[in-house]
Amino acid sequence: MKRSIGIVLALLLGAVVVVAVVLGNGGDDGPATVRGVIGSEKKPFFDDPRVRAAFEKHGLRVEVDTAGSRQIATEVKLDDYAFAFPSSLPAAEKIKRDRKVAQTFSPFYSPMAIATFKPIVDILTKAGLVRDSGQGYQVFDMEKYLDMVAKGTRWDRLPGNTTYPARKRVLMTTTDVRTSNSAAMYLAMAGYVANGDDVVTTTAQIPKVAGAVAPIFLDQGYSQSSSEAPFTDYLVMGSGKTPMVMIYEAQYLSHVFAGDGSIRPDMRLLYPAPTVLSKHTLVPFTPQASEVGRLLTEDPELRSLAAQHGFRTADPKAFADLVAKHRAPVARDLVDVVEPPTYENLEGLIANIEHLYESGSVPQTEGGS
Amino acid sequence: MSAVHPAGTAHGRGIRSAVRLAARLSVVALTLLSAATLAACSSEASGTEDGPDVLRVLAGSEVKDLEPMLQRSGVKVKISYTGTLDGAEQVASGGADGAYDAIWFSSNRYLSLIDGASARLSTETKVMASPVLLGLKTAKARELGWESGAVSWEQIATAAREGRFTFGMTNPASSNSGFSALVGVAAALSDAGEALSTQQVSAVTPKLKEFFSAQRLTAGSSGWLADAYTREGGVDGIVNYESVLLGLKGLTVIYPSDGVVTADYPLTLLASAKPDKKDLYGKLTSWLRTPAAQKEIMTTTHRRPIVPEVRPGPEFGSAPLLELPFPNRRAAADALITAYLDEVRVPARALFVLDTSGSMQGERIDALRRALVTLTGADTSASGTFSRFRNRENVVLIPFNDSAGQPKPFVLPERDPEPVLAQIKSYAERLQASGGTAIYDGLRAAYREAATGGDGHYTSVVLMTDGENTDGSSYEDFEAFRQTLPEAQQKVRTFVVLFGESDVDEMQKIATLTRGAVFDARTGSLAAAFKEIRGYQ
Repeated sequence: MKRSIGIVLALLLGAVVVVAVVLGNGGDDGPATVRGVIGSEKKPFFDDPRVRAAFEKHGLRVEVDTAGSRQIATEVKLDDYAFAFPSSLPAAEKIKRDRKVAQTFSPFYSPMAIATFKPIVDILTKAGLVRDSGQGYQVFDMEKYLDMVAKGTRWDRLPGNTTYPARKRVLMTTTDVRTSNSAAMYLAMAGYVANGDDVVTTTAQIPKVAGAVAPIFLDQGYSQSSSEAPFTDYLVMGSGKTPMVMIYEAQYLSHVFAGDGSIRPDMRLLYPAPTVLSKHTLVPFTPQASEVGRLLTEDPELRSLAAQHGFRTADPKAFADLVAKHRAPVARDLVDVVEPPTYENLEGLIANIEHLYESGSVPQTEGGS
Repeated sequence: MSAVHPAGTAHGRGIRSAVRLAARLSVVALTLLSAATLAACSSEASGTEDGPDVLRVLAGSEVKDLEPMLQRSGVKVKISYTGTLDGAEQVASGGADGAYDAIWFSSNRYLSLIDGASARLSTETKVMASPVLLGLKTAKARELGWESGAVSWEQIATAAREGRFTFGMTNPASSNSGFSALVGVAAALSDAGEALSTQQVSAVTPKLKEFFSAQRLTAGSSGWLADAYTREGGVDGIVNYESVLLGLKGLTVIYPSDGVVTADYPLTLLASAKPDKKDLYGKLTSWLRTPAAQKEIMTTTHRRPIVPEVRPGPEFGSAPLLELPFPNRRAAADALITAYLDEVRVPARALFVLDTSGSMQGERIDALRRALVTLTGADTSASGTFSRFRNRENVVLIPFNDSAGQPKPFVLPERDPEPVLAQIKSYAERLQASGGTAIYDGLRAAYREAATGGDGHYTSVVLMTDGENTDGSSYEDFEAFRQTLPEAQQKVRTFVVLFGESDVDEMQKIATLTRGAVFDARTGSLAAAFKEIRGYQ
């Protein structure tokens, strides 16, 4: 900003009084820039010109860098930013505690979902992994999936599969669980199943659960660090690269609601059972950033834009209207929702899996259980 | 930054940089920065173009063809090129922090496996996609019954074992296309279904040997490989990016039905970049992903678009591309490269013609000793380890001054190479400089030596000299002598290293005559040039 003061000052002197009044920060060089570090799946929202315009009405220019939510909570130099906006409550709680922040904002949330293709759904239905909920959407059985991964089943070995005869294993594509929140949320739901349908609540449960679910990450091979990347692969490269991918529901719905043609007729949205809700939570470090959080939560225009980007907000009607308008195959009321573990327990699970990456040993021999 | 580049990649941006520097300094003056900052900027800018409005990108040579297009992005971009592995090490060690704002390689996968690398990276934006594939001369593809496309790596490996075709591929330790192909072939042939582990790499090594027995051409970069193939033919096909293969005439592109590894060219912000630079990065990546830019990338470079709004054109065919899993542990990736170099590939026979004339005295002979010692394992970085003399390799050192010295051969065994590496090291450390410069006598000695032994090896010559020819035979004599050699010896390439006061024109002539390449060590280090040449041997 500093370098352009000379030029901008002359041009904008008249126009910026309002900003100064609103923000009281003494800045008189156009909208005040507030820079945050966010989960990558929210970048299209913050890049949307309508969102930028809505913020500018309130004298704010919001710039964002993306990073995995776990990176935001542990590795990113937060001093460079006015706010952090990870994609889950556990990561936000950690940052809130570390930075001694009084108030956080959870303006929107998304259930975790699976983006896949009709031929894949048909194969998985035959194999008993996918069933109809009777409520207008289909669910993906996590317990049966974990069994299949444990057996090392390959696509070309599934009975009646003529449409996707790939020699690779049946594995959900996820992001890197060591860095990214969407994979951590997936770990939360798989961990719930592996823990006998119960949230991991004690450190004693961690090694066994981590060992049991580790192959769903490790056996995939290289996984990308941010949630936008595998979803882009899904949209662009199709089932060859990404037959099914764990995403935030909003990622899929934003394209459905935009009607931009990127969701093609053979694409499908499934809900894992159980699923977890990803509560996108903004942790502000400055008064301006608090204003960003407040606007996201309260401003009708920004709330409406959030719904158009596929997020569920405190105003369920906006979301429901869009679903109805686009006849989206959306679960209005998800029943099978579980809570993610606390930050410490989730971190414990991730750290155990991280150790398996580092040691290079296969989980079965590592845990001894 | 290494200033070493193969011939033909010289950078000519002196005038442009001067203009930009002037423009930038005026901006600095306008913005009333403190005197201290101004001083720091101008001293820093003396060699390179830089400034708050320039995005500095460390990139792989694979994206060079996009540089002209970037000028229309509205963002000033300064790109510095380096090898894939060198770049990865630079980023992971923090060496790129502060010097660059972003990186742009064909893939971040290997980089992400290095400890500490991910913390140095911020936003990643994929720009385009191109799978690594086999392109075969159309007649050969027809002969093998592969023109329809539905061929598996298994079938390709069988045909290779039976000697039914030959191919060229880049060195997996130097170039991402070679590494991606190696990962893909290993994953497909291992029949594992999940990401390769170190144990699976050992298990698949015999099958890899069969496949790579058909490799007759190697290179340090995918661009040079494509050029060599276009110029000479010599092999039935090459492994390269789809984008490169589609740009070559008369090739049938094979899409293996059991899977491929795809480059996705992530333009990646470094976490250390300043806010100004982050804004530039945001502008550039948004522009690159506009439908217009994506269409232009597709039509001009044959790479697949990465945004759903732009659908791939008919040139990419309709075969579904199955993506093979990529290793997620560095140990497995390194084990694969090591297996390739030590067991799988056709081993190298490397003849080094080394100037030990009087002008080499002092620092220069020291640099030469160091460069050779580097290749004996003294450089313990990943790029150093992979570029050292490998198991099964034959190394011949031929020093020259007034005349050619006695060629000194070293044969590395199949395992436990340390004693031989120690012998090479000790020989190199005893090199002395005195006397004249009989370049062509040295070179003739190398080509004579190439005639003996070397069966089942991939033979090449490195010529390193710091001055003009003063003794013995002339370039013309060498040219005439070379014509008398059997065809196999004539095919031996010479990779020339410019050093000190090398006669650039004549060195270039040698490289052109022997279809080698020129590497410039006049401003960079001799060791870096030697390491880079290793990718071509």
